[in-house]
Amino acid sequence: MGGGFRVLHLVRPFLAFLPEVQSADRKVPFREKVIYTVISLFIFLVCSQLPLYGIHSTTGADPFYWMRVILASNRGTVMELGITPIVTSGLVMQLLAGSKIIEVDNNVREDRALLNGAQKLLGILIAIGEAVAYVCSGMYGSVAQLGVGNAILIILQLFFAGIIVICLDELLQKGYGLGSGISLFIATNICENIIWKAFSPTTINSGRGAEFEGAVIALFHLLITRTDKVRALREAFYRQNLPNVTNLLATVLIFLIVIYFQGFRVVLPVRSKNARGQQGSYPIKLFYTSNMPIILQSALVSNLYFISQLLYRRYSGNFLVNLLGKWKESEYSGGQYVPVGGLAYYITAPSSLADMAANPFHALFYLVFMLSACALFSKTWIEVSGSSARDVAKQLKEQQMVMPGHRESNLQKELNRYIPTAAAFGGMCIGALTVLADFMGAIGSGTGILLAVTIIYQYFETFEKERASELGFFGF
Amino acid sequence: MVRGSSQSQSSSSSSTSRPGLVAPRGSAAATAGTRRRRLGGGGGGGGAGANSVGGGAASNMLRFYTEDAPGYKIGPNVVLVMCLCFIGFVTALHVFGKLYRSRSAGEA
Repeated sequence: MGGGFRVLHLVRPFLAFLPEVQSADRKVPFREKVIYTVISLFIFLVCSQLPLYGIHSTTGADPFYWMRVILASNRGTVMELGITPIVTSGLVMQLLAGSKIIEVDNNVREDRALLNGAQKLLGILIAIGEAVAYVCSGMYGSVAQLGVGNAILIILQLFFAGIIVICLDELLQKGYGLGSGISLFIATNICENIIWKAFSPTTINSGRGAEFEGAVIALFHLLITRTDKVRALREAFYRQNLPNVTNLLATVLIFLIVIYFQGFRVVLPVRSKNARGQQGSYPIKLFYTSNMPIILQSALVSNLYFISQLLYRRYSGNFLVNLLGKWKESEYSGGQYVPVGGLAYYITAPSSLADMAANPFHALFYLVFMLSACALFSKTWIEVSGSSARDVAKQLKEQQMVMPGHRESNLQKELNRYIPTAAAFGGMCIGALTVLADFMGAIGSGTGILLAVTIIYQYFETFEKERASELGFFGF
Repeated sequence: MVRGSSQSQSSSSSSTSRPGLVAPRGSAAATAGTRRRRLGGGGGGGGAGANSVGGGAASNMLRFYTEDAPGYKIGPNVVLVMCLCFIGFVTALHVFGKLYRSRSAGEA
């Protein structure tokens, strides 16, 4: 009986109050799943456009600027928190359980239920905490300006939005929808961002006359209005302050590369012990942990940014604080703080190729940091999430599957040859692709694009699988 | 891709939690798929939970709330209605806020 065991049991009294979507007790038809998914997505999109009631202003520095895209949140809207509560609580719980700080026996039903309940409770608590922190830190104007009533209203809205995201996610996962809500929301947000940057019809006046924000629209606009076509082309391809065509092409290229790499896999043949002649295959993908390494990495980095910014604003003279990060207001995207020194600077992507050439050590450090962080997180994740060689071997054994030509006891050893390597190397590849995307200046950060592509690819796979099973259902 | 005799395939895919096996195609294999589904739906954890753990594609879809947990049970439609109510509520707040402000501005 460790102390951790009791920690999990602390959750029990609250369980009765947690909203819980019923599992589908029948097989939900494909069409219905699509409908549920689309409605959830629609609700999410409406929520991320609907402004919060009672806010005074949303100007000023935005400390979460970096994570907005990844966490599917929108400034000043009901979806201000986005999926932060879920992701944070999920990661915290999984890491706690994986590192055995909280003891969870995955074979006991009650334990799993308690862990789930704890996760949800933590998510709700984080939502409340963040809402209070946002309001009190004066992100929407100081509390005196807002009035106490409005401040409470804002907190309530954010809190309910948090619960809604949790419920929608659960709804999709419990078998009513396709894939998971979180991935769906992230991918939508990023795609929206990319489409907007490519085709946005808003004009921005940056001193050289009105320019269109969207890269494609700006290209045509420049080509039509300018007399010097070559210079117009160059302008459209290389303008610095707004999304340009090169960025767009880089984005497309990264998309293609990632999809190409998704196909890389080692296929291990497996065979059933009791039924003769029955064969299957167990593919181990290069991207074994898929997008988890970058999610973990960006969670780490954004938390570090947040702490560093907070400290820097309070105690900017302190040596240790400066070591962690120095911040300055950026001249472009108004009011954003960008790191200019310290650790925070070195783990930030260089903003351009010129910046890279001017500061090669920064670029090198960033590269090494990304690769090693992704590889490490990837290796940790297989242990935490129960997809390590040992777990897979156990699963295969439970299904009475063996590898032809290998003894049963050898299964884990054989899997061990591939899985850790695939995890570490795959994580590194993901990291390298992220860095590549950042260097090429792809739209949305490299992290964002990688997330979007891997999620969309997973959706395709799910879609195919669903369709295959559905066809059989109607065919007979 | 698995292409064996129909008998062997259906028994092959009927086990609930085959982690990363390539999805079977073809008519015979497809029945196997549905059978697996049904089994998955029946077995407590739910169809989605069946391949939540394990390698391959499904493990990393950021699945957090797949297990059943005791709690205040609500149906899927209730969730959607709740969301719409929330959206309606916030919209109403905006509308009433506007009305109230314009009236108080008019009186002042």
